[in-house]
Amino acid sequence: MFRKIAVAAGLMAAAIAGPAQAQDYPTKPIEFIVPWGPGGGSDTQMRLVAQGLAEETGQAVPVINMPGVGGNVGLAEFAKRPADGYTISQIHEGLLISNGTGITDLNWDSFMPIALVTSSPQYLTLSKNDNFSTFEEMVAYAKEHPGAVRAGVTLAGVPHLHMAMIEDAFDIQFSYVGYEGTGQRIRALVGGNIDVAIGDVSSAGQFVENGDLIFAAVGMPERTAEEPDVRTFKELGQDLDLAVTRGVVLPKGTPQDVADALEAHLEKVMQNEDVRTKIKNVGSEPVFLGQDAYKAYLGKLSETVNRLVGKLAG
Amino acid sequence: MLDAFLAGAHQVFAFDTLIYMLIGSVAGIVAAAIPGFTVTMAIILTLPLTFAMDPLQGVSVMLSVYVGGYTGGLISAALLGIPGTPSSVATTFDAYPMARGGEPGRALSLGVWSSFFGTIISTIILIVAAPPLALIAVKLGPWEYFSLIVFALTIVASLVGNSLMRGLIAGVIGLGLATVGPDPMMGRPRLTFDSDILMPGLPFLIVLIGIFAISQLMGEVEDDGKSETKGALIPDVIEFKTWAVMREVLMHPVNLIRSSLIGVFIGALPGAGGSIANLLAYDQAKRSSKTPEEFGKGTPDGVIASEAGNSATAGGGLIPMIALGIPGSAVDAILMAALMVHGISVGPRLIMDNADLAYGMFIAMIVASLMMLVVCVLSMRLFLRVTDIPKQFIVPTVMICCVIGAFALNNRVTDLYLLGAIGLVGYGLKSLDYPLAPLVLGVILGPIAETNLRRALMSDGDWTVFFTRPISAVLLAAALLSVIFSIRSVLKMRKKNRAVTDEQDGD
Repeated sequence: MFRKIAVAAGLMAAAIAGPAQAQDYPTKPIEFIVPWGPGGGSDTQMRLVAQGLAEETGQAVPVINMPGVGGNVGLAEFAKRPADGYTISQIHEGLLISNGTGITDLNWDSFMPIALVTSSPQYLTLSKNDNFSTFEEMVAYAKEHPGAVRAGVTLAGVPHLHMAMIEDAFDIQFSYVGYEGTGQRIRALVGGNIDVAIGDVSSAGQFVENGDLIFAAVGMPERTAEEPDVRTFKELGQDLDLAVTRGVVLPKGTPQDVADALEAHLEKVMQNEDVRTKIKNVGSEPVFLGQDAYKAYLGKLSETVNRLVGKLAG
Repeated sequence: MLDAFLAGAHQVFAFDTLIYMLIGSVAGIVAAAIPGFTVTMAIILTLPLTFAMDPLQGVSVMLSVYVGGYTGGLISAALLGIPGTPSSVATTFDAYPMARGGEPGRALSLGVWSSFFGTIISTIILIVAAPPLALIAVKLGPWEYFSLIVFALTIVASLVGNSLMRGLIAGVIGLGLATVGPDPMMGRPRLTFDSDILMPGLPFLIVLIGIFAISQLMGEVEDDGKSETKGALIPDVIEFKTWAVMREVLMHPVNLIRSSLIGVFIGALPGAGGSIANLLAYDQAKRSSKTPEEFGKGTPDGVIASEAGNSATAGGGLIPMIALGIPGSAVDAILMAALMVHGISVGPRLIMDNADLAYGMFIAMIVASLMMLVVCVLSMRLFLRVTDIPKQFIVPTVMICCVIGAFALNNRVTDLYLLGAIGLVGYGLKSLDYPLAPLVLGVILGPIAETNLRRALMSDGDWTVFFTRPISAVLLAAALLSVIFSIRSVLKMRKKNRAVTDEQDGD
């Protein structure tokens, strides 16, 4: 009973105060904190989203890069910002892993997830070597020689999680070598300094086309349009979802109507053909999951991370 | 090939592209000239603008910012003794004494011409040899990188100034400072004492600005009034002799080419960058000079080596990017993003699939370096005018720029506290006659050495790999020779000094 009254009161308050705010939002520029350095995937994709959002709302959306400690410095700063919808930020899988391995106290539910906007399909990529050239051969070789397959990952980062998911699903064991960023991993893979890595079409696609590298499998529910010949993990027997998904978040405690207004604006941005094309061009997929779907997605992801976190902390 | 070349040239030489490039060139030079403002910052600001341009037009504009940025650092290095960018640390060693010695125009002209020739030489190598060089660069593993850094660390010996002991201590302090913050492999905090300020570590640029700029500016305040130049940092009689200086630069062909090659090589290695090339080229010039004692007192060779070395990394850095689509630095990553947004995939097939674009970029590099030259030569008088401004205005203004730049780097307020603290440390060390360059070298090289050592041992637990991989072994041998050479020259110097003292005793 009390709850119902509270909800009703809340709705009334929202009805009185809300529309004016929500209709007007945004009335001034929105600061977009990207907790990563310039030039990377998050930066490029979020700049495209920011540009779309600026066109859509008529307000400037300046991107502020705040890199450090795997995105955690920027997010820690963002969490302290006023929850009025005029500072927004971005998270991806990395935050959940940082939380799981104890690097930060923040987690996805420390923020208000508004919309998942891009998803970059990740491919298990093999170097050209004498021991294996397909996924099955790699698994067989790794089973025969545990720890002999060198996997390049960002230690305690998203690629590490993806590799751990593969280890876990196919019951094999890699030895890990730490690299920072996809560019570095692909370079090491091409140079033969590691054997397997997680790659994507924008950084490794041309090497695959050239025959220097091999895409062994893709971590999506279905084959991708860019690489239709690459099998999914589902086809290989294990349903693994390996994607780097990026979504927009607000500080906790932002009024719900502001959140809804931002969600509606982002939905329109993600339908903008120009934004969609450019996001595809930089090797990612434009998507849109609203607040509820995004929260559900993060909740499920969180379970996977918690299950495998022991493998990542070492 | 000729078709592609012409198609690229056609796009670069469009009137609007040239105008944008000119603006980019000025922006790059100005951004680099202000200590604390980086070239990366200037390029990231141009990125959204290029979304609306043709791909080649956008990249050409960025390249002009990039080339301008490798030269701009020279201006504050020569006139204020403060490196405008990390790539101009060694430039301060000789350009500043030369400027202080009454030849600021010559110092600037020498630097500009050396930068110009350095960029041109590196672009030629880029055009002729990008694919094979990139293939070599990509084969280098963590072993080679670690050995290269060990070699680079030995150049501390050239930077120590008056006392080998104090130089080595400064180098060790630098290596120590670099360990504060998240460890480069796992992101685990080290030596942060649970403090929010130390949590992100000591960013290299903050250390650089703090150590060089703050200590230099405080030094300026300190000797105010004593200086003979009546408040101005530089005497006012200025002669440029632009063409005479060009001839002077060309009279040092060995130095120019050696420094440029070092720049290209270091530039082609992803992750190394202009700051190492700048110091390494200076070191090599000093070691092979017949008059090494002139270095640090305003010798033209020092200016030529440092500026040709850092500018040549511009072309070198593009080698892995154009040939393989592998970014060597944040700037390269932004350039690649600018192309990819337009649907151009950047990778080993870029030269085949988008030949006009690749050739267009080569042409844009040459055009950008010509623009840099023209802008610098025409505006040099203006830059020198800055030095006429009395100290009480220029010192606070530069200080404010440093602080703004330090903040804009990562948008962290805590970095400003660090800047203040490091500035005081730098001032203290300088007052005690410790050389500052070895400290900065330690901060630059420490993390690269650590990352690659750990990476090497994670790839293969066997230590002997460092000696069995040929390039790695050669680099380690070079490091050993370099140390032996340094010890010998120190001993020789000591002997000479003793001889002098003996003579004095005899009197």
